[in-house]
Amino acid sequence: MTFSKIRKGGLLAAAIASLLASPAFAKVTVLGWPGGPEETALRAATDIYNAKPDVAENDKVELLFFNRDGFWDKLQADLAAGSKAFDVNLLATYSIGRYAPFMEPVELSGEAASVYGDSVLKTMQYEGKQFGVPTDLSLHFMYYRKDLIEALMKDDVAKAKYAEISEKHLGKKLQPKSPDEWTWDDYAATALYFTQAVNPDSPTRYGTVLQLKNLLFNMMVFQSLPRAYGGNWMDDAGKITVNSDAYRKGLETYKLLYDAGATPRDSLSYEFAEANAAYTSGQVAAMMQWNAAASDLTSKEKSPAVADVTDTVAPPAGPEGRFTHIHGLGFGLNKNAENKAGAQAFIKWLSSKEAALTYAKNNGAPALTPEVVAEVAKDRPDLVKLGEFASKYGYVMNGGTSAKALSVYELQAKEFTGYWSGQQSLDDALANTEKGMAELLK
Amino acid sequence: MNTQRAHSSEFRLLVTPLVLFLLVFLGFPAIVNLIYSISDVSFETLRQPRITGLSNFAAVWNDSAFWQASWFSLRFGVLTALLECGLGLFLAIFLSPLIERRSWLMAILMLPLMVAPALVGLMYRLVLHEFAGPVPYYLWAWFGASFSFLGPTSAFWTLIVVETLQWTPFALLLFYMAYRAIPTEIVEASAMDGARRWHLLWFIELPLMAPTIVVALLIRFIDGFRVFDNVYVLTGSGPGGSTASLSIYIYEAFFKQGAIGKAVAASVILFAVSFAVLYGLNLIASRRKGAVK
Repeated sequence: MTFSKIRKGGLLAAAIASLLASPAFAKVTVLGWPGGPEETALRAATDIYNAKPDVAENDKVELLFFNRDGFWDKLQADLAAGSKAFDVNLLATYSIGRYAPFMEPVELSGEAASVYGDSVLKTMQYEGKQFGVPTDLSLHFMYYRKDLIEALMKDDVAKAKYAEISEKHLGKKLQPKSPDEWTWDDYAATALYFTQAVNPDSPTRYGTVLQLKNLLFNMMVFQSLPRAYGGNWMDDAGKITVNSDAYRKGLETYKLLYDAGATPRDSLSYEFAEANAAYTSGQVAAMMQWNAAASDLTSKEKSPAVADVTDTVAPPAGPEGRFTHIHGLGFGLNKNAENKAGAQAFIKWLSSKEAALTYAKNNGAPALTPEVVAEVAKDRPDLVKLGEFASKYGYVMNGGTSAKALSVYELQAKEFTGYWSGQQSLDDALANTEKGMAELLK
Repeated sequence: MNTQRAHSSEFRLLVTPLVLFLLVFLGFPAIVNLIYSISDVSFETLRQPRITGLSNFAAVWNDSAFWQASWFSLRFGVLTALLECGLGLFLAIFLSPLIERRSWLMAILMLPLMVAPALVGLMYRLVLHEFAGPVPYYLWAWFGASFSFLGPTSAFWTLIVVETLQWTPFALLLFYMAYRAIPTEIVEASAMDGARRWHLLWFIELPLMAPTIVVALLIRFIDGFRVFDNVYVLTGSGPGGSTASLSIYIYEAFFKQGAIGKAVAASVILFAVSFAVLYGLNLIASRRKGAVK
């Protein structure tokens, strides 16, 4: 082969490669959350939008999906690099501040406030500006075995044992209560009672299953406990308040349950999927879990051992009331979008009642106001609780939408799991967290 | 003379792409890394980093998590390299007659290498799960209790076992090839001289395989030292950062904390130490070679 042939071959290969590397000729490109109900719902909503006669050919929406693993880090890198590969991108409450410098505030439809309500719209706001439309809301339910709790409440011998266990481990005699009236102490007492390591007569191996992996999402599940005791990340003056009695109480409760064997020993490597697997085995009495698990845990096909006997309530209460951590997924506008007008039009429509109902009917999880959710309550009864809990008990920690919110969760995950695993003291864990948060949120 | 000039011209043309590739893909990032390592930089200021001196290096140096991750990586790298090579060497010699007769066995033994490390992590998350995994299931059925595989005291050793199970076939492959390459005349001559099997192994075969053993140890140590995927998937660097390797430390500092300068400074330190160690080893190897001559 002569050199000139090699050169020609090289030129041809370069030409083919450049053709293959050309961006797709999309009109409005939307980067979505792949592989779950959110994708199904977004596809359904997009189909309706694209079929509208008043949507110009150049403004039709094309969806893009890549892997969930490392999604937020890849998105961060893409946005920082000024990527034009997508016009609209996914956004989460805890990452708004991180991405806001690379995005633009959006205009929602006039119906948005009546469809979602102010508290839910706030999950997509940063520094007073609306950066996205809140399509999916995540919060936490207390899932419990109603058969076990009902049996406990009817049995006087069991009640006496329950009181004995609670006095021994929690320092006070407690009586079994309906889960809707639980305080965090009642939850802990119930978890201990249904643990065979504590009560050999327990029908389940573990009273609860905690998600203790060094993972930021697990910290979101945990936050509602200290919050019920008045915990917050910082006060109105910006002073970090994590080194408090409220966080101390929350951390100690988890530690007590872990050390007593009320949760599997490997809980330190557990997250969403592992906790669900433990619960569906029928060997766990109650657990705090994301609302997203509801459909699986109550499905006879997917959870035959527990589907019929599982019920949900809001997380337990503390002296300051009952709280559930909320965060939303939504869609916002890339600052470098190539079709900004088309993207803005799609976002505006996405915040309308029509879009929200389509999204809800197709497996999405929007938190809708009671008037709107009533229209889909028959098909999606879980959305009724979602909307109710979000408006009654939902909260976002002070600083929870800041640029470093994700890093705060990461820091807490590292320090708190260090305490739960016995690698550092409670004082050290709280002091390290306070110091790190002061640095991150300054 | 003309032919020589033509060859020289073609040589330059052929080498130019490689040089350009190295400059663009290695040289440029290296320079940017050096600048970032002495800068105050975030995702918002990637194009306008502010030079701040050696503060990032000081932050890394004074960070206990950095030393914890370094210690984890060192222990993990050394132990997995020794275990994989020890086991691989034993299997290569022990299974050699069998593999020689049934070569398809080698393909089966190599299967773990075909699985992506992240997938291995996911697989063991399932295998070791108390309610879904077969190992805890049988432990519970036989002993009425389940061992905590990923608890605070056992996570490190579980990760060592997982890594060893996946990468021992690599060492086995190298050692099998080296073992088969030993000249049969030498082995036969030794046997005729009355050498026992143990002596044959210790004084003939292992010395002849020594260069391969050293290379395998080095490759496996480097791979173990920079471990990321399976550890991150299995334990998420926890509990409490106790299973964070240096790679995970750098990744978390960069993406999770947004501390780009600190992450890059850690990678520069890692590069400097790796370079010094490799240079030292190369120097020792060169001197030995010189001494043998």
